[in-house]
Amino acid sequence: MHVLQLVINGIMAGTILAVPAIGLTAIFAVLRFTNFALASHATIGAFAGYVANVHFGLPILPAVFAAFLIAGMVGVASDELVLKPFRAAGFITTAIGSIALTIALENIVRFGFGNELRGYDLPITRDWRFNGIRIGPQQVQNLAIAVAVMAALFAFLAFTRTGKAMRAVADNPMLAAIKGINADAIGRVVSFVGMGLAGLGGMLIGLDTTIDPLTGFRAMLSIFAAAVVGGLGSIPGAVIGALVVGIGEELSTLVLSHDYRSAVGFLAIVFVLTLRPRGILGQRAY
Amino acid sequence: MAIRQTRRTVLKTGSALAAASILPSGSYAQSEPLRLGVLTPLTGAGGADGPRMLKAMQLVVDEVNAIGGLLGRKVELVVEDDQTNPEAAVRAARKLIEVNKVPVIMGTWASAVTSAVAPVCWESKTFLTTVSGADSITQLPHQGFLIRTQPNSQLQGKAHATFIASMGYKRVFVMAIQAPFAIPTRNRLEEILKANGSELVGGLIYEKEKTTYRSEVDEALRSKPDLIYLNGYAPDTIVTLRDLYRAGFNGPRFAQSYAVPAKTLETLPPEVTENVYTGQPSADIGSKPFELAAKRLGIAEPDSYECQATDWISIVALTIAKAKEATGQALRDNVRKITQGNGEKVSTAVEGLKLLAEGKEINYEGASGPCDFTDIGDIFDCKFRYVKVEGGKFKFLKVT
Repeated sequence: MHVLQLVINGIMAGTILAVPAIGLTAIFAVLRFTNFALASHATIGAFAGYVANVHFGLPILPAVFAAFLIAGMVGVASDELVLKPFRAAGFITTAIGSIALTIALENIVRFGFGNELRGYDLPITRDWRFNGIRIGPQQVQNLAIAVAVMAALFAFLAFTRTGKAMRAVADNPMLAAIKGINADAIGRVVSFVGMGLAGLGGMLIGLDTTIDPLTGFRAMLSIFAAAVVGGLGSIPGAVIGALVVGIGEELSTLVLSHDYRSAVGFLAIVFVLTLRPRGILGQRAY
Repeated sequence: MAIRQTRRTVLKTGSALAAASILPSGSYAQSEPLRLGVLTPLTGAGGADGPRMLKAMQLVVDEVNAIGGLLGRKVELVVEDDQTNPEAAVRAARKLIEVNKVPVIMGTWASAVTSAVAPVCWESKTFLTTVSGADSITQLPHQGFLIRTQPNSQLQGKAHATFIASMGYKRVFVMAIQAPFAIPTRNRLEEILKANGSELVGGLIYEKEKTTYRSEVDEALRSKPDLIYLNGYAPDTIVTLRDLYRAGFNGPRFAQSYAVPAKTLETLPPEVTENVYTGQPSADIGSKPFELAAKRLGIAEPDSYECQATDWISIVALTIAKAKEATGQALRDNVRKITQGNGEKVSTAVEGLKLLAEGKEINYEGASGPCDFTDIGDIFDCKFRYVKVEGGKFKFLKVT
């Protein structure tokens, strides 16, 4: 029973982690660099949702949409203005540039909102209990939002022209260019969707806890671990990676003290990459 | 009254203070200002306390400058943000020591930060003053280059356990953040609870910066405690309080006051924080130094951190005046000559500076307490203040 509870906790944590992890991996698939600025975009999304929810009194679903939209727009702008010029200099330079960008954005949020902890305008409810298993209504709602968003994203990639173009660029940029796909436009779409998902994930994390300018930064290690374990560049891989990291961290408490939970993320990276150097699902985008 | 501190207000206050210090306020020789280092959390988990401590120090500096500064030089604070992060703190400390050549660094808050910065200080013979509580800090081989005005884990654990037992709680579980104070505090709680007829039924250490502590809460509740002692910082304590509520725990919880600041009560619904006790080292409420600090700060009841910050800068100023030298070595060698002994009791830096100028011996009594230090830099004892949350508000219980 105890193990089952841990697995359920892990699935809840993993599903929320999956949303920004998809963003990270999608950006990597198309633009070919690890965008660490995802951390600050998660924070920006969390704060955009906070403003929508607390200042404008919007319910959670429209606020979640605001989180996606604002973080996505900031993502496009920051990529155009800051990261794009770096890309000619190569993968490492761009990734390091994205770390600098994330620190700058985080401090802009801090300048506007201060350091204090903020919570959404939500009642906190007691958990449901089924035969000794505990499940939180808020977590079920987050789970539903995360699953719906992932379903929408998969539909977008599978059935829309832009989605197919994105996959084409990710699979083979040169071939896609020959076929007349505008890689710049696709880059902007992926920045919007990827950072939008980061913002949405940031808000989902905040719904369950509180938010402050470090919200995204704190989750970044687990997000990165999820994307790498699943196969950096693979969108279904990010979901699987997030579940592996989420459930792994919880189950580790059976044998390890609670303060080693984060080490599980690293161990998962080492273990999976030793057996499968390209991650569980490899690097195919879809 | 709670003052809402944001970076913006800090900057405004800072620039107002800076502008004020440019105005002619005394006559200084045509020499370099005397620069003193401040390394305190303006961001991170300590971000709510750092700016207030900085303000308290700056106000004392303004008073000292108004009567002519120190050693004929204007005093200037060089401020760095430690980000409540050991790595950032060490970089900032090196900058203060190597670039700004400060003789003292005041204001580290988190124990992990102080533990990281202390070796940089003693190796460069720079004096360090802190509010960090972990026992291990004063046990470092700091050669006297460190004092702290905060009670250590031994004093805190003893006081808290005595309070908890006196409230009739018999089964206590400790959930502690991974920090240098976690295990010493737990051991001390266990010892004192046992001596008072209560029992520590278990404990766990959790990782910081996690978004949920559901599994930790499950483990805590399995040992059926009647009180849970939350030994963490504010961001994680909000999460543990929520998760305890969700899990259906209605019993009392005890936390350090810095882990449940007023902001937490605004953030969480009242039913989640109901029956939370907090304890904190009490400033010496009602004493003359405390009243003077409150007046200077313009608030009715400055908290322990504002009082401790007031005391550091006052002690440093007086020691420099006593030693007639502004070096870390001089601070180390002379600090106890003005904080303890048979000299005339003084409550502020200005009062002490005047007496020192007349060649008299002084004994500084601070707003946070008597400020008498042991050989390793700990205070001997202090008072503790306890409050309880009822209906989303703090209700004062007692100072003992």
